[in-house]
Amino acid sequence: MHQPGLSLQRRDLLRLSAAGMLSGVSVPWFESVASAAVNRPRGKACILLWMDGGPSQQHTFDPKRGGEFRTTLTSVPGIRIVDRLPKLAQCMQDMAIVRSMTTEINGHYDAKYFLHTGYKRTTEFEHPAIGCLASSQIGSMHADMPAFVTIDAGWDIRNDGGRLYRNVPAYLGPQHAPLAVNDASQGLENLSPTGNDIDARLQLLRRSERRFAARYRLPAVRAKQEAFTRAVRLMQSKRSQAFDLDKEPAYIREAYGEHKFGQSCLLARRLVEAGVTFVEVVHRGWDDHEGAATPIAKRAPWIDAGMATLIRDLKSRGMLDDTLIVWMGEFGRSPGAGKDHFSKAWSSVLAGGGIKTGQVVGKTSEGKNPGSEIVDRPVTSPDFVATLCTALGIDTHKEFLAPGSRPIPLVEKSAKPITELVG
Amino acid sequence: MCATRLAMVATQVMTLSFLLSAPVAVYAEEPLLERDVLPILTKHCMGCHGGLRQQAGLDLRTLPGMLAGGDSGTVIEPGHAEKSELWKRIASDEMPAGDDREKLSAEDKAIIKAWIDAELPTVSERQQNVDPLLPVDKRHTPREVAAAIDQHIDCFLAAAELTPVSRSDDVEFVRRVYLDLSGRVPTARQAAEFLDSRDSDKREKLIDALLATPAFGDQLGRTWRDWVCPPELPSTGNAGDQPHQQAREFGKWLGAKLTADEPWDKITREILTVQGEITDQPQLIFFGLVGTDAKTTADGSARAVASLFMGVQLQCARCHDDPYRDWSQQEHWALTAFFGRAEGDFNKIEVGKGPSAKPGEIAIPGSAFKNAGVTVPAAFLRGGTFESRDVDDLRGPFVDWLVAKDNPYFARALANRLWFYLFSRGIVNPIDDFRELNPPSHPGLMKLLAGEFVACGYDVKHLFRCICNSQAYQRTSWVDPETDDQVRGALTMAFGRMPLRLMTADMLYDSLRLAYGASILDLRTSVEHVTVGMSSAVADPYLEFQRRFGTNEEDATDFTHGVAQMLTMINHPRLMAGSNALDAIYFPDSLRLPPVDPGRNEDLFRAVKARFVRFTIEQAEGQPCLDELEVYAPGSDTNLALASSGSQASASSLLPGYDIHQIPHLNDGKHGNAHSWISNEVGGGWAQIKLPTAAEVNRVVWGRDRGGEYKDRLAQQYHIEASLDGEAWTRVSDSARRVAGPSDDEPDLSKVVLTTAQQTEAIEWLYLNTLSRRPTEEEATEAMNYVEETPDKRAALTGVLWTLVNRSEYIFVR
Repeated sequence: MHQPGLSLQRRDLLRLSAAGMLSGVSVPWFESVASAAVNRPRGKACILLWMDGGPSQQHTFDPKRGGEFRTTLTSVPGIRIVDRLPKLAQCMQDMAIVRSMTTEINGHYDAKYFLHTGYKRTTEFEHPAIGCLASSQIGSMHADMPAFVTIDAGWDIRNDGGRLYRNVPAYLGPQHAPLAVNDASQGLENLSPTGNDIDARLQLLRRSERRFAARYRLPAVRAKQEAFTRAVRLMQSKRSQAFDLDKEPAYIREAYGEHKFGQSCLLARRLVEAGVTFVEVVHRGWDDHEGAATPIAKRAPWIDAGMATLIRDLKSRGMLDDTLIVWMGEFGRSPGAGKDHFSKAWSSVLAGGGIKTGQVVGKTSEGKNPGSEIVDRPVTSPDFVATLCTALGIDTHKEFLAPGSRPIPLVEKSAKPITELVG
Repeated sequence: MCATRLAMVATQVMTLSFLLSAPVAVYAEEPLLERDVLPILTKHCMGCHGGLRQQAGLDLRTLPGMLAGGDSGTVIEPGHAEKSELWKRIASDEMPAGDDREKLSAEDKAIIKAWIDAELPTVSERQQNVDPLLPVDKRHTPREVAAAIDQHIDCFLAAAELTPVSRSDDVEFVRRVYLDLSGRVPTARQAAEFLDSRDSDKREKLIDALLATPAFGDQLGRTWRDWVCPPELPSTGNAGDQPHQQAREFGKWLGAKLTADEPWDKITREILTVQGEITDQPQLIFFGLVGTDAKTTADGSARAVASLFMGVQLQCARCHDDPYRDWSQQEHWALTAFFGRAEGDFNKIEVGKGPSAKPGEIAIPGSAFKNAGVTVPAAFLRGGTFESRDVDDLRGPFVDWLVAKDNPYFARALANRLWFYLFSRGIVNPIDDFRELNPPSHPGLMKLLAGEFVACGYDVKHLFRCICNSQAYQRTSWVDPETDDQVRGALTMAFGRMPLRLMTADMLYDSLRLAYGASILDLRTSVEHVTVGMSSAVADPYLEFQRRFGTNEEDATDFTHGVAQMLTMINHPRLMAGSNALDAIYFPDSLRLPPVDPGRNEDLFRAVKARFVRFTIEQAEGQPCLDELEVYAPGSDTNLALASSGSQASASSLLPGYDIHQIPHLNDGKHGNAHSWISNEVGGGWAQIKLPTAAEVNRVVWGRDRGGEYKDRLAQQYHIEASLDGEAWTRVSDSARRVAGPSDDEPDLSKVVLTTAQQTEAIEWLYLNTLSRRPTEEEATEAMNYVEETPDKRAALTGVLWTLVNRSEYIFVR
């Protein structure tokens, strides 16, 4: 649970800045931390960077000999990634790469569902998305800020990959559905009032609501009025300025990259800072059926700047240990040029969140058709979701009742969190 | 496993103890199997002695199972707990076995002991031979049935020493009955007419009138559609395409059938035996909707049919015997075998294909983790084996069995579902969990409704008429706020009070469309994104609204909206952009329509009651042509002019000699030049629609060629008139309201002045059109003060409307 009211103390700042300096991270925006106007309620948070369509692992975090991209050394000896991600290479000590994702499903939509919920899709009922789980388990329903926000970061090069997954709270209840930001530069939809007399209207409404509540003293009426009050509080809250990127200094906006993805990462940081528990940034169009090299060469600078700056920014603010960053898609791409969907052996990346970083988990094959097999430590979708939950402090053994009185555990019972990361 | 049982038990306890808490007074204090004992056994014992595992050969799911005992003999001696092995093991904490298992509390133990000592009393034996109060073998009048319904409920209330609440007032009733039977709140005029009527039978008459409109079929059709559709529709696994459009067509098809008074058995047969292409058979999507990955599945079909048409939950029995209920895996697959020779997808069903190697049997697939590969012959659920006849598709014989008058499932499943629809709670709960050990709260009532439904020939409207005319349906939802929570809960479940419900997305959407006078109400924010097709927003305002404002299908009293929905209602610009319905009355000048279009034109006007609507052409090149002339009621998408709904078209003349240009083509529902009417008068002529009965209308839609091909013969100048008797006509719209070019000369509405009387009237109209009542004096003053302080009167009235649709009173059904 969040503990509101705790803010970064000055001595923490000093300690953190020292840590930042020692680890060799340059923090040009350091002074902005001291002037951060909004207190951050402490608690675990997560930023999911979702690469919709299925990014190629061999063109990003699991490069192979003779591959289309050259590799580069990283800040952790012995770990190499593609040279198109130089800034991320310098963040390796704060990241962990899982190179042995194996998730069975090669169809976009079903795979998106599987990776977001840890369950295979059935038509009888739905499973809640990880963001909704986080909202229900570690989000604060009484804070000004919503617990779960999604940000659409648009697409580059191509717009493909099937229907977007829609985060569904299912049996957790619609109050755990995300609020949507359709464009980071526009902020949250429906946040600002239309017309210039909202206060007068609210006052008129309040009178009749009080009378109704006195007549109907029922839980449903209370729930309606509470939801309404929360919405109004969010509109009027200082914290809702977190949705406004214009409040951010220009040099920080530049550092994240002047691109929708980077700006979405920046917005995600602002939201987590203001108390949002789970932010999902969706970058679309990674379904590179004509080969991954050309499109990824174009996308890489934006991804590199956005994600690396996010890691470094969170770190300099002392927020990285409490904020888990996840980079992934619904599957990877076939070895070589990456033209096809490939769920058998692919990569995801985790950073921060207090997990054990600076390492690679799992390994794919080398040899004739490199990357076609997992040779060490397969990680399934339920394992992966269990890992995220464990890192966020969510009890994976909890049970819910799905429709038809069917008991459903939060993650499948067979799931084992990746102990190398969260053990 | 322990947690699993706990969760399971939570519901059991809720259904049983809550359900039966009231009749305690009737049944004295002795423990009863279903109410008191089963919840304990389910929680602590059935995990090992139930359907999934039967350790020591003991199955405690049913009374015969308990009496049969286990490998070591009997476990219960009725009347003698001390001699019963079951009691001894529980009493000594030997059972549940294992140190890590939670033992029974002293209270639970006492219940088990008392129950055995009392010789195993059950609810079911008390419910045997219960009197439905009316002979079940003949049809009765709605008044007779309504009286019997009330007798059942009043007996229950008296036995439970509960005092029912009073009758609803007219405001409550008119709004509730419109929402239930028409899917939206009444218009201002409809509400006022009802409130002001002094007719002592006005409620009964209104129920009849609403059941006679197509809106009734539409509302029930789309409600059924939502009952069938899983929350996230099945889709192709890769692209994720979903059959939303097909599902909507299915709802409309069902609605048209219900409007046309087709009996439920006939509709059921048309759904369950459909084959071929989906073209002209929208019901075909049923099997796709309950299938997997855009394909039908035999077992998915069987489970959906069990749940929707039989009121039975078979989902657990797919892979193994149901751990807690008495359904076997064998029974699940025996029912599935009827669906094993018809297979398809979203577009077709082919007979002769499917998982059954031969008709009348099916092999349990490998994905079921017990008995994979075992072949099961078709059998009716608890109805004996089925002698496989010489037919390939066994769905027909299945429906013969299902809809037979003596079928134990069919009638009660629908009766209970309709009751649930109207009261937010079934007589059996969950509504699809009929079984001996989950008895109805009102057994006589259940028998009465199911019997009446069979006797009337499965007439759905008759059942609605009976229930809606009961005092039970017409009770108020208001309970004195000082009432104890438990008493209020007991009253609600005993049907001694109407619960306060949340409007469904459909009800809210249609009510808002009525309030804003809009045929489409688009509450999306990011429309430019959606045109790309892959965005999180949906390329359809209705679908997006449905998703955003969806409610809890299992419990309508649950308020499910969160901050996202509230922010939409508070800040979406559309809800402050003004109401066409309001403008049509108070700012008629503002309702400028776009220039005439050869394709489609919409004339929205102040609602009038009319039986005749006439479209008169004043100017056109050559003899004018009309493709279709459509007439709509406020807030409705149902074209009242259609010949299939009983309307008649006539015209001043007809261009002779063309089959494709005919007067009946004006209202045949078909678009395009090939289905149009052409007058025989150059530049003139009129076309007219006569509705089957007088109705409130506020919108006419017309065009020269809805297909978009032909642009000649377009009516450039016209007027539309309405009449009740075909003699006295009122002009409701004309081409003068259409602006020619970009609207430089658009009137500045912010400066329109309204008199105080007009403002008062407008406020009252807004109240009636949203809350179905007039404002109280206090409310009128508050609203008036707000309007007075705002110079722009149109904005001020829109602001009042905003406060009304944002009220709790608005979104709840009282």
